[in-house]
Amino acid sequence: MDSIAFLTPLLDLQVLLTIAAGTLGGLVIGALPGLTATMGVALLIPLTFGMTPVMGLNMLIGIYIGGIYGGCVSSILLRTPGTPASAATVLDGYPMAQKGEAGKALGMATIASTVGGLIAAIVLATLAPQLAGIALEFGAPEYFALALFGLTIIASLSGDLLKGAISGLLGILISTVGADPISGVMRYTFGIQGFASGFSFTPALIGLFALSEVFTQMERIAAKEEPIKSVSGRWPSRGELKASRGALVRGSIIGTLIGIVPGTGSGTASWISYNETRRASKTPEKFGTGYAPGIAATESANNAVCASALIPLLALGIPGDVVTAVLMGGLLIQGLAPGPMLFQTNPDVVVGMFGGTFIATIFMFIFGMALIPLFSRILMIPRRLLAMSIVVFCFIGSFSINLNPVDLYTMVGFGVLGWGMQKFGFSQAALCIALILGPLLESNLRRGLLQNDDNVLAFISTPITLLFLALTVLSAGWPFLSRAIQRRRAAQNI
Amino acid sequence: MIVREARADLWIGGGLLALCGFAGWRATYINQGFNPGVAGPSFVPWLVTVLIALLAVLLIIRALRAEHDPASDVSLPGKSVLLSMAAFTLVMIGYAAAFMPVGCLPSTMVAFILGLLLLGERNWLVVILFPVGMTLAIYFGFTELLSVWLP
Repeated sequence: MDSIAFLTPLLDLQVLLTIAAGTLGGLVIGALPGLTATMGVALLIPLTFGMTPVMGLNMLIGIYIGGIYGGCVSSILLRTPGTPASAATVLDGYPMAQKGEAGKALGMATIASTVGGLIAAIVLATLAPQLAGIALEFGAPEYFALALFGLTIIASLSGDLLKGAISGLLGILISTVGADPISGVMRYTFGIQGFASGFSFTPALIGLFALSEVFTQMERIAAKEEPIKSVSGRWPSRGELKASRGALVRGSIIGTLIGIVPGTGSGTASWISYNETRRASKTPEKFGTGYAPGIAATESANNAVCASALIPLLALGIPGDVVTAVLMGGLLIQGLAPGPMLFQTNPDVVVGMFGGTFIATIFMFIFGMALIPLFSRILMIPRRLLAMSIVVFCFIGSFSINLNPVDLYTMVGFGVLGWGMQKFGFSQAALCIALILGPLLESNLRRGLLQNDDNVLAFISTPITLLFLALTVLSAGWPFLSRAIQRRRAAQNI
Repeated sequence: MIVREARADLWIGGGLLALCGFAGWRATYINQGFNPGVAGPSFVPWLVTVLIALLAVLLIIRALRAEHDPASDVSLPGKSVLLSMAAFTLVMIGYAAAFMPVGCLPSTMVAFILGLLLLGERNWLVVILFPVGMTLAIYFGFTELLSVWLP
């Protein structure tokens, strides 16, 4: 009864309008390449100072949810991930847009984000303290095993396993540039101060996917290819929705579980979900060619993370990802200390945040669906003007993250690298995954070795690490196994 | 321009070995600090460098053994397109270099106009008006609506 009473502030028109404004603002920020949900939340935290805790925190949650969803817009339309969380959406979203089905792709992304968000919000509201306890068991070996498992995605994403593995290792090597995460010793910086914190992830990602696409557009312009004329409706067909059911459920569950583990985030969740959905599919060859379940898998997972990443923040005081780390600042501004005591001292705020997560997800669905026709028209712009507009967005977006001019060179460098990789059959996605997981893998591998006197047996000593390592072997060996099964089936058919 | 995949892989494999040599050499400069165990700051760079070198050798061996398959040929753009892509890259490097000292508005407008010309736009109204309008819209969107500082 008390919990229902705590939800009444959410019915206030001013609170509802604030959540709606936050969600819409987040959506626009996420859709702009280079502007992330983290940045949106960080920028607007000072505004919440004069608001009630429920109003201010729910506005930030709205920005977070809208921002993560908004990233899919530029991923699908421009092959430019608006946020790292939507990088995996490029794989099927952009090919769908190229086939003239941008509206459908955006519609599927909106539905998937809503399903993922609502399922995770239910988990947040019901299982927060219990589930957070599992993540509390994680030490360095567990995080290492989780990162290693994440890296095996490369095996199934790469058409050419050898080139995929090289791309992934190259990503890990690039991620070692800058200050060592444990000792602070400089590595591969050549005395350049701008490299001290390594290559910034988002400019690298913008270059890898967006700028490389501008080069591809240059080839198309030279070949006088016709631009896309049709963008299709906003609703996926019944068949596409039916085919995506498994992906929606799988993505929502994976996103929810990964969001609970602190420090992993939406990017990891969407890649793992994509990989698992592809692996479970009867038609894995369709993934990467503009297949709606591919979008359902990634978008349901990354939006599920939004709600579930709040679980460790609220229950343990440990942020689930970067955005919730920033959101923690919002709680502190209100004089609230996140952690188990928050449930005792301020249940109204906790329940209000649970309710706000539901409301923001519903606003996200309404705004997303309403704006699809407007977003889709971007593709009607002539290629030359669109290509140059992307370049300017890439530059200003990359600069605005850290206000560091070195990021502009990073972006250009990764753009050229991305185009070359694409041309010669190397995997940009594998490099991207390794850039995300490389630091997590390295710091936990070394921390685990240091804590256990270089004893590698520590990495196989707990049930959680054993589970992840078994999944890693299975995941890495699956492409070989599935090929062997296909060969045997083909031989039997002959 | 068509390039055989095996030949491209040979060059790439060679390039990767050279990169590994360079990365390995630079890894010897990484200060180990007071680390008593094997897991020092250069541990992962070394590990990854050795693995890349091994895979690069595999790539070269595979390329040497491969029979020609026309379906796997790499289609590169023609010389003129490659030249304009190189020029485009130079414009972007120049844009990056000018962004801070010259300022966002003038550097963006100039880069926009040069980029459009390199992409083959010849309608002068479009070449002038679109970059000016778009640059102003993006600049004010970022600075006024999102409160992002731009030079």
